Amino acid sequence: MLADLIQNTLDGLSIGAAYALLALGFTLIFGVLRRANLSYGAAIMFGCYCATWTHLNFGAGLLLLAAITVAGTVLAGAYVERLCFAPHRGGSMIAAMVASFALWMQFEELVTLVMPTHLYAFPALYEGAPLAFGPYTLRVDALVMFGAAIAACALLWGTLYRTRFGLAVRAVTEQPAAASLAGINLPWVYVRVFALASAIGGVAGYLVVASHGQITPMLGMWSTLKGLLAMMLGGLGSLPGAVVGGLALGLLEAHSQWFLGPQLRDLIAYLLLFVLLAARVPWMHTRSAS
Amino acid sequence: MSLLKIQDVVTAYGKIEALKGVSLEVAPGSITCLLGPNGAGKTTLMMTVAGILKPRKGGISFAGEEIAGRAPHDIVARGVALVPENRLVFPAMTVLENLLAGAYQRGDKKAVAEDIDRMYARFPRLRERSAQHAGTLSGGEQQMLAVARALMSRPRLLLMDEPSLGLAPLVVEEIFRIIAELHRDGVSIFFVEQNAHMALKVAQHFFLIEQGRISFSGTPGALAEDEVIRRAYLGSAQQ
Ligand SMILES: Nc1ncnc2c1ncn2[C@@H]1O[C@H](COP(=O)(O)OP(=O)(O)OP(=O)(O)O)[C@@H](O)[C@H]1O
Ligand SMILES: [Mg+2]
Repeated sequence: MLADLIQNTLDGLSIGAAYALLALGFTLIFGVLRRANLSYGAAIMFGCYCATWTHLNFGAGLLLLAAITVAGTVLAGAYVERLCFAPHRGGSMIAAMVASFALWMQFEELVTLVMPTHLYAFPALYEGAPLAFGPYTLRVDALVMFGAAIAACALLWGTLYRTRFGLAVRAVTEQPAAASLAGINLPWVYVRVFALASAIGGVAGYLVVASHGQITPMLGMWSTLKGLLAMMLGGLGSLPGAVVGGLALGLLEAHSQWFLGPQLRDLIAYLLLFVLLAARVPWMHTRSAS
Repeated sequence: MSLLKIQDVVTAYGKIEALKGVSLEVAPGSITCLLGPNGAGKTTLMMTVAGILKPRKGGISFAGEEIAGRAPHDIVARGVALVPENRLVFPAMTVLENLLAGAYQRGDKKAVAEDIDRMYARFPRLRERSAQHAGTLSGGEQQMLAVARALMSRPRLLLMDEPSLGLAPLVVEEIFRIIAELHRDGVSIFFVEQNAHMALKVAQHFFLIEQGRISFSGTPGALAEDEVIRRAYLGSAQQ
């Protein structure tokens, strides 16, 4: 029983790390643009399919596949920004959201057109046996996922708090009008934030797909839902909150799966979100105003 | 030649025109004050000059170059900085980071560091609070920070939108002392003020804006002599 509890916690933390990355990407875009990007997951799926396609046709090493995933996601993200967000700047929130939903469909159509089979194998991160510590096992790919997620967080922190670009991103997030009065070029920041968030999403997507060893077009929906859920659990718009929300979501799923079975796993997360929203816990409303 | 020349500017929010053809000029090296009742279009005018709002019609030239319709960061680069209404500091950033953001376009790190020292000398409270989040400062301190942040871009023209709004009388005096000091250092100043008594002590030229139109332009002397304005903005206590 205790062994299972610890094992579930380890599993939950490692998938939670991927959720945290997805939530970070969402939060960056939401914080800066004040708009939810519904095609975020679809862009990640597109990036992962770029890598799958390359692998099928040319074969490629893990690192190259990761790089292609990130590049593909950034490309797709830039396309989304140009089409959905740049034209509606300062304008309607709904327009940008609906447009980004339309692009989600576009990405799915494109991917199923070029690669019509529902499921493709994806080169696994690691194929050896899991590491054993007494009664506990730790999958190496889960460990890599956790490590990579932490590295990506650290890199993001460094970017936001130690660079000139990071200063601009924080200023725009806090007070867009004052940021442009300070001489910060807002469109320039928006495009780069989109690229950065997409790159983080690409890393998350690659880790998830590589640790599952397979990919389906559902990845788009899955990434958007998990990212949104983790972002909301962590309190809309806060970066540390996104990390906490992601880890909490991973832990919640791992434990509820053990207690209640896999069918109820997803339901529990939605239920929790519903309860938190209904109860209006203070941290879920802090940054959404103003 | 005037430093800032605004000609027949019309700025609208949707169908509502907040500026209905405003023309005015600010002389280089001067302190110019824009007076006007609530909702007259003062903030709209400042935001239009700074590029946050785009004029629907008319021209704005700064130092002989057309700036109407340009992006705000471009206008900052040309030497115009606005201290916005309600200050709008970056609350979760430190005082130092707020100042660095004000110098965002400048590449000369050394000169920026010197300017930060200069700001700290001018505003000692900011030095004490350098590592503190701007949101924790008092209203007066936030106003000092907003002014210092604007100065970090080394503007030739400083625009200020109601710098004394909501501040205690002593702090208001401090703000006006700083305006006079900045002017002595060679910065031209164009500011919005509802406190005409204080403005009379520093400004060399006044404009009055009412319902989106300039209704008076003149020296402090002319302003004080105008019966209607005196009644509306200076009260009868002056007589
Ligand atoms: N965002 C907006 N949308 C629609 N109308 C606006 C907006 N901002 C201002 N207005 C209107 O434009 C007119 C001018 O407003 P503005 O803020 O420029 O006045 P002001 O002179 O700065 O007033 P105050 O002394 O209250 O600061 C007002 O009638 C106001 O209601
Ligand atoms: Mg105003």
